[in-house]
Amino acid sequence: MVNPLGAIYIMWYRQVKRFLRSRSRIIVSVVQPIIWMVFLGLGFTSALRGKPLFGGVDYLTFFAPGVIMMAVFFTAFFSGISVIWDREFGFLKEILVAPASRTAIIFGRILGDATIALLQGVAVMVAAFFLASQLNPLGAGWVLVAAFLTSLQFTGLGITLASKLKSFEGFQLVNTFISMPLVFLSGAFYPVSQLPPPASQLAYLNPLVYGVDLTREALTGLGSLPTSLNLAALLLSSLLLIGFAAWSFNKATVE
Amino acid sequence: MFEAGKGLEEVIVAEGLTKTFNGFKAVDKVTFKVYRGEIFGFLGPNGAGKTTTINLLTTLMKPSEGRGWVAGFSILSEPEKVRRKIGVLFQDITLDTELTGWENLWFHGLIYGVPRKELKQRIREMLAFVELEEWADRQVKKFSGGMRRRLQIAAALLHRPEILFLDEPTLGLDPQTRRRIWDYIFQLQKEGITVFLTTHYMEEAERLCNRVAVIDRGKIIAMGRVDELKGTVGENIHIRLASKSPEDAEKFMEALKSGGLAGEVYLLQTGEITLSTRNASEVLPKIFEEASKLNLKILEASYHAPTLEDVFLRLTGRRLRDSEVGGIESIRLAHRRR
Repeated sequence: MVNPLGAIYIMWYRQVKRFLRSRSRIIVSVVQPIIWMVFLGLGFTSALRGKPLFGGVDYLTFFAPGVIMMAVFFTAFFSGISVIWDREFGFLKEILVAPASRTAIIFGRILGDATIALLQGVAVMVAAFFLASQLNPLGAGWVLVAAFLTSLQFTGLGITLASKLKSFEGFQLVNTFISMPLVFLSGAFYPVSQLPPPASQLAYLNPLVYGVDLTREALTGLGSLPTSLNLAALLLSSLLLIGFAAWSFNKATVE
Repeated sequence: MFEAGKGLEEVIVAEGLTKTFNGFKAVDKVTFKVYRGEIFGFLGPNGAGKTTTINLLTTLMKPSEGRGWVAGFSILSEPEKVRRKIGVLFQDITLDTELTGWENLWFHGLIYGVPRKELKQRIREMLAFVELEEWADRQVKKFSGGMRRRLQIAAALLHRPEILFLDEPTLGLDPQTRRRIWDYIFQLQKEGITVFLTTHYMEEAERLCNRVAVIDRGKIIAMGRVDELKGTVGENIHIRLASKSPEDAEKFMEALKSGGLAGEVYLLQTGEITLSTRNASEVLPKIFEEASKLNLKILEASYHAPTLEDVFLRLTGRRLRDSEVGGIESIRLAHRRR
């Protein structure tokens, strides 16, 4: 019997090690969100100066929590592509033929990729504290919770997607196709409550909404939902999406 | 040591295994058994269905038809149990090239359930075996093709499986490394491990395997011990006469036929004759006697023991595609008279 903890650990180790060895990935993953904050966040802040819109803070302060979650979301969701790389380079066979439980393997993989997304979220959060001085550093703990749960579930969704779509092109296309509405309806750019009726209700089906709201509440006190609700929604969607990933990976073959 | 046919335990059973890809039968009703402790080989050209058979037996693919058992567990309904008993060396590289050699083995050991206490020691042993100790801490992307293959072999053996599947184990390796791997496979057999291997090198099949199944276009076309398979084709004797006269050759061929020394005799070109026989070493001296009776000089006589290549040729009418040169075991006899 293979120790599932060993399998979880080694998959986690491998995902994280690969990331740490790839300098370009580290740099891009942190610089990109900073560009969002500087160009979009500061740009809107100047454009809307003197017209306090969202709870009286400047736009960057409102937007920065959204950027942290977006960074986490993009990294987590896109990380599923490594499953396709592994399939392409034969490494997936090594995993598929192993006696370790596939659920343990996929959980380790999700944990590894989620750790990477979380690290990135932390780096972006630190940058955000420098750029938007009104953010409350004491909320950092809740941000970690929101970032971790968001990473877990979207890594899970990415892996599910990669198990079904076996080409890089297909994955990239569908990933972008799904990412766009999820990000725009996440509340990162504007409060979802201000959307016209059908959209404002639909938005609450988007798991990203709860991560953004929890982060915003923690850093600015401007969240619109109770923390307990955000937490419950994040836990539920994490369980569901990790479950999907395990289910689809359990059926994987090399074909 | 393994001896075929001695009340043996079946560890791999394939019954009519078939795998179809978009109407193309990659593996077509393949049926065979492998016994505990045996080295069993699938010999056939590239594209014959060898790798697909391994994929089916190692539960990486589901068969379209047929059934199979590995170590007593069904490949259809108990894939996890099958995976616990086997080790696989895939034909293509299955290493993580971003990780180091050591890390790849560490990874392998843990997902194959090697106890951590033993793992470090085993990794050291395996790295020593494949002579990659100095490369242990380098990323695999800096390894040459041969080094990657050796590391992969180390990984396949690391968890000491009960049944080992080797898909073209020595593909692209230099002769020295190849021989070392053969020695190691024999060593594994002594330890009681059953080996199923595929190869398109007939020398590999001849040297290593207790039994061989010849596979072509998805079908097993012959199966048995190597000597049994070779017994189905005769030995070839090749003679060069000093005389270039067609009449002399004709006369000599007649004499050989009437003396009952050969079934089929062919004239290759002026003065060169080839014939097939069951027992070349007994027949050769008699050929020389016939020649001296007719007062003919034999410049050169050679005989060619049958190889699995000849078996394949006889069964399919084709040569093993991209098979190796140099595997022919021939004994040359040169005889000159003044």
